[in-house]
Amino acid sequence: MTDPGDSPVIQTFDLRKRYRRTTAVDGISFRVDAGQVFGFLGPNGAGKTTTIGLLLGIISPTAGRFELFGGSSARDLHSARRRMGATLETPNFYPYLSGRDNLRIVAGVKHRDRAEIERVLDLVGLGRRAKQKFKAYSLGMKQRLALAATMLGDPELIILDEPANGLDPEGMREIREIIRGLAERGKTIFLSSHMLWEVERTCTHVAIIQNGRIVRQQSVADVTSHGVAGLRAADPAALAAAVAEYPAARWVRQRGDRVVAELEDGDLAALNAWLARRGVHLSHLALEARSLEDVFMEATGVGELAPAATDALPGPVRHRLGEVP
Amino acid sequence: MILRALRAEMLKLWKRPATWVTVGLFTLITFADVLDDYRDALKDPEVSFFLPEAWSRILGEEVMIGFIFASVLVILLVAAEFSWRTARQNVIDGLSKTQWYWAKVLLLPVVAALFLVLRVVVGGSFALAGTDLSSGRAVMGGPQFAALGGMYLTGLGYACLALFVSAAVRSSGPAMAVWFAWFAFGERLLVGGLGSLFQGLRPALKWAPVSTFNRLNDYLRYDPEALRQAVEWATRHDRPVPQVEALGPAVAGTALWIAALLLTGWWSYRRRDL
Ligand SMILES: Nc1ncnc2c1ncn2[C@@H]1O[C@H](COP(=O)(O)OP(=O)(O)O)[C@@H](O)[C@H]1O
Ligand SMILES: [Mg+2]
Repeated sequence: MTDPGDSPVIQTFDLRKRYRRTTAVDGISFRVDAGQVFGFLGPNGAGKTTTIGLLLGIISPTAGRFELFGGSSARDLHSARRRMGATLETPNFYPYLSGRDNLRIVAGVKHRDRAEIERVLDLVGLGRRAKQKFKAYSLGMKQRLALAATMLGDPELIILDEPANGLDPEGMREIREIIRGLAERGKTIFLSSHMLWEVERTCTHVAIIQNGRIVRQQSVADVTSHGVAGLRAADPAALAAAVAEYPAARWVRQRGDRVVAELEDGDLAALNAWLARRGVHLSHLALEARSLEDVFMEATGVGELAPAATDALPGPVRHRLGEVP
Repeated sequence: MILRALRAEMLKLWKRPATWVTVGLFTLITFADVLDDYRDALKDPEVSFFLPEAWSRILGEEVMIGFIFASVLVILLVAAEFSWRTARQNVIDGLSKTQWYWAKVLLLPVVAALFLVLRVVVGGSFALAGTDLSSGRAVMGGPQFAALGGMYLTGLGYACLALFVSAAVRSSGPAMAVWFAWFAFGERLLVGGLGSLFQGLRPALKWAPVSTFNRLNDYLRYDPEALRQAVEWATRHDRPVPQVEALGPAVAGTALWIAALLLTGWWSYRRRDL
């Protein structure tokens, strides 16, 4: 489905947005191709919403430019918006209208008929709650209604700003299923998140953004195909300190009783020999798939994105190849 | 496009509880006001309350109360879209900013008409009850239609000012405060202040927006017979004789303010990020 030779669906060129006090987006260039599920990963305040706002034309850039479906003139962008569906920040609806009436408003803007409203309501599982007022919806229902609204008009590109924000694990799972369904139907999806594992489980590609800059951009498969060394010894702290001295170690991190390190050469035997010479004896040494978390730490120097991001982890996130949707 | 936009605005208007609260409240107030007139008429043989004469009371200055309600409703409908971020979402969904703004403009004639019609219907039905229909006189004629037209323009002016403030302030509470402050004393203070500072400005200052709109809100200027009676009554009771000015400049002034408010409102709305 992913075809790097395709024409880009989204491409930005040194995009910037400066506010009086802060630079929210500080020269961002990236490219999203057709069929990708592109994760825009970064901590709160990194500039994700501002970047999406720029793409959606509701924030005007200070400098730089971008193309949607290969066009960048005002006219191109206006017609590009007919081929996409998007949410920004929170689900934005009329609180006093029912879910269905809210979609009628959106359908009016997008020139869609009533049958389609029922179709998308069923897709997100809101068919039976469609009569209820939006303000009475739970956060999960609101997020799902927002997803339904983006799907109206069967757009080729769907942009979602933190679609699972504030949801419990069950709600997140539901949203993830819907997004996977869309990806399977060949939609291009651009989603922002501050949660590593959400991106790891949903996306084919990732760009990591921090302080308004992109610090890393690659496919999720690439991330995980480069191995890291997983080590264990009786004293993990001493082990971590020893590995940190190893010349070929790019970075080292202690995780509980385990130590993880990325090696420039990937040569485990050499590492083992070097440690043994220093009197460190390993109980376990293996080449492990790198997780997005490793990449994130490496790229940003940040141990954790947000407490919530790791609190919600259902056990250690171990990435296995082939698990990526 | 226009029809689609109007349909969406009507759906929002119809389903919004605030619409029915303002309509209900205004109907009550109008009812009480007209009931008062009706009681006066019963007590005082000099005062009549049947059609078409009663129109001079039904379409009196109190029509303005309806336009205050209309302004409040416009602010609630438009400014709230910024707090709810639906103004933003509509544009994300594919409306251009221009289309969004002019869809709100479409709302204004509807809301202004709503409150003028309410006044006519509530007041008119009261007066109709006391009217001897067998006399063969028309219950409504040229002067009344002219008055309704002029007053409708006043209502549009009020509604445009409300839209302008909503789009500039972008939040219902503060927008309401700004609109009300301007209406209640802001305009008068500003005109008074500028007038005492720059004597030469005084003639122009008479054309500040609200006072321009209110010029059209005087029934006597549309009904020569009512004017004649009012003058006669004032002379008899030694009261100041009512004066009416030419209609043309007032209509032109109101139309100009409407155009200016809509265009500057559009310009300032377009300039800013959503
Ligand atoms: N309208 C604004 N005015 C001033 N600063 C803003 C505005 N919007 C966002 N910012 C700032 O820009 C930075 C990026 O914000 P945002 O794009 O919302 O980040 P994210 O979505 O990644 O959490 C933050 O520091 C935020 O405070
Ligand atoms: Mg955000």
